[in-house]
Amino acid sequence: MQQNKGLLVGLYEKLSSMRLTLFLFFALALASIFGTLLPQGSSVEELQRHYGPTLSWWIETTGVNELYRTTWFRGILLILSLNLIVCTIQRLPKTVKLLRHRDEQISPEKLEKFSCHARITTPHSLKATQAKVQQVLADQFAPLQPLTGSEVFRAVAERGRWSRYMVYGIHVSVLMILAGALLGSLLGFKGFMNLSEGETSNQVILTSGMETVRLPFQIRCDDFSVSFYDTGAPQEYRSDLTIIDNGQEVIKQAIRVNDPLTYRGVTFYQASYGAALKQAEVELQHRDSGITRKLTLPFREIIRLPDSQDDVQIMQYQQNLGNFGQAVAIVLFKEGQEPVGSWILADMPDFHGNRIQDYRIKVLQLEKSQYTGLQVKEDPGIWFVYLGFTLMLIGVGLTFYSSHRKIWVWAAPDPAEKTSTTLLLAGRANKNSLAFEDEFNGLWARLEGQLNATKQ
Amino acid sequence: MDSSLLLGITTFAYLLCALLYLLGVLFRQRFLLLSGSVAAVLALVIQTAAILLRWRESYQLGYGHAPLSNLYESLVFAAWAIILIYLLLELRTKQRVLGVFPALFAFLAMAYASFSPQVDSQIQPLIPALKSNWLIAHVVTCFLGYAAFAVSCGISILYLVRRTASDNPHPKGIAIMLPTPRHLDEFNYQMIVFGFLWLSLGIITGSVWANSAWGTYWSWDPKETWSLITWLVYAALLHARSMQGWRGKRVAWLSVAGFGCVLFTYFGVNFLLSGLHSYATK
Repeated sequence: MQQNKGLLVGLYEKLSSMRLTLFLFFALALASIFGTLLPQGSSVEELQRHYGPTLSWWIETTGVNELYRTTWFRGILLILSLNLIVCTIQRLPKTVKLLRHRDEQISPEKLEKFSCHARITTPHSLKATQAKVQQVLADQFAPLQPLTGSEVFRAVAERGRWSRYMVYGIHVSVLMILAGALLGSLLGFKGFMNLSEGETSNQVILTSGMETVRLPFQIRCDDFSVSFYDTGAPQEYRSDLTIIDNGQEVIKQAIRVNDPLTYRGVTFYQASYGAALKQAEVELQHRDSGITRKLTLPFREIIRLPDSQDDVQIMQYQQNLGNFGQAVAIVLFKEGQEPVGSWILADMPDFHGNRIQDYRIKVLQLEKSQYTGLQVKEDPGIWFVYLGFTLMLIGVGLTFYSSHRKIWVWAAPDPAEKTSTTLLLAGRANKNSLAFEDEFNGLWARLEGQLNATKQ
Repeated sequence: MDSSLLLGITTFAYLLCALLYLLGVLFRQRFLLLSGSVAAVLALVIQTAAILLRWRESYQLGYGHAPLSNLYESLVFAAWAIILIYLLLELRTKQRVLGVFPALFAFLAMAYASFSPQVDSQIQPLIPALKSNWLIAHVVTCFLGYAAFAVSCGISILYLVRRTASDNPHPKGIAIMLPTPRHLDEFNYQMIVFGFLWLSLGIITGSVWANSAWGTYWSWDPKETWSLITWLVYAALLHARSMQGWRGKRVAWLSVAGFGCVLFTYFGVNFLLSGLHSYATK
């Protein structure tokens, strides 16, 4: 039990260390480098072909081909989050304590150890000196807060106390972004749908795996068009979409790349396009009888061959099958037999393989329509992420462009001549010490001028 | 007069500027350094005019987009941003010797843009993916970040030269022209902070843009990932500096390494890896 506790405390201390943070930064960077060098999502066969058995075994085992989804990569992100949380829990109270701390023990010996300090003897009384210092500092820096004590004058002035808290804003923002990403992946979905012109659907095929999601409303593609510049480069991809909810057409809107449509939290993006088969005119010649039949086959509809017991259906269409051009996959259903099918090459009518059993098949004409490829997404975490982004920018700006600057003042009547006063100023900034030095020296020069003092 | 003529003049002006700064440091001539600064200001003015002119020309061609759409235009903008940021730094620090590397980097960017057969300087129409107001915000923020890191890398090299030349407070040789190591370290830090802020903005605008164009704010595309790697290196540097007290040589080397990441994000990813940013290769 004792040992367990020691272990936990040790672990907690490890999690709060800055060295761990630096290590995690470099580990993340290094892992990401591997992730960018290897094409992500490569299949096992591709790996074997490119890298040989040994290297591809290593790649598969470490999961570098799917790096950002591996447990160990997400593990690093998790440890980084824990590191951030523990650091914040540990340091925030220290920061609060530091800012609450009142420097009651100001002594000249202490102040003269500061790299930024100055000392003079003024020809004025303590009271007059004190008043001048108070006035100059309140004018140029911040009002002085006198500390207790009567024989000598001791006080501090500070600016930008809040600056010390800003770094926690950045840390919280990183956690918010990660939490938003987690929320999105748990509660949202990402997928795509291909809609032919005129087609209505509510099925989204998810990017991860081949599952589908049914939207609570329908979407129809009314028209898809591509326009080109004179140079031949694409100018615009555009889909005219209609949302149908409860049988009502609720939205009619065109989407383009960079200009999506959102309805009930689901967003549709213009992602791709292609040609879809509407129907094909084919000729089937029976080898034995020599009978030739021409018929029109609408895509994926089962059609009975006239004067026979046989059915045919087009199951698939490919724009370019293995570099042989357009092809349709046709299936033949004979009563009492297993269905048989084959790819029929439309652009090579004389190809000897254009047959199914005893039918020789020729594609006479293909009637196509365009389809639009939509990326579909629902991400309830996005506002968390965006809030994190905003907070991060504000945090980075304020953390680095503000600093906590503090000036300590100590003044006492000169023990020898009661008419003169020794004045000691010291200052420190938590950031940008060079700029603070300038500020301090400027203040000091002004004070010296005002006090009309002689240097010691 | 067209923009390509002006950009040609700019290229040679930056070469002249780099030479003046370099000779000024080598021969310890303040006058040459001053001439370098004058050349830099003039070159920046000419280049600003050229960029605005190119913008107008794209409208005359009927395309109408900001000159930030391909490798050529981004290189030109990178050179512009480096010199702009450097001159602001010079104005604040009054240290003209810092100009050697920024001027050299700006010249190299312009020379690569102008003379490499890989880089097409024609004004091209925008492909649909780039047609967005985010284009300007994303490219400008990223390149201001890159430019600040370029200046920081130059300061780091000067720092390393200064430390190698002599560690004593009264240096001889070239080092006599350079600011003290402490000042160089501080200028370096200021540039890194500036670059870090803009890089963060650049990554975030890119992320928001990707979300509005493709529906994913982060897709681990090589360019995105490399920009994150760069961000992590500089984040590590800032943590090490403020929490572990790293200063001087270690910070300088890390800054040089960080700029290496910037260069890989910019060029390496374009030519060696494929991804969503492939339009930036031509």
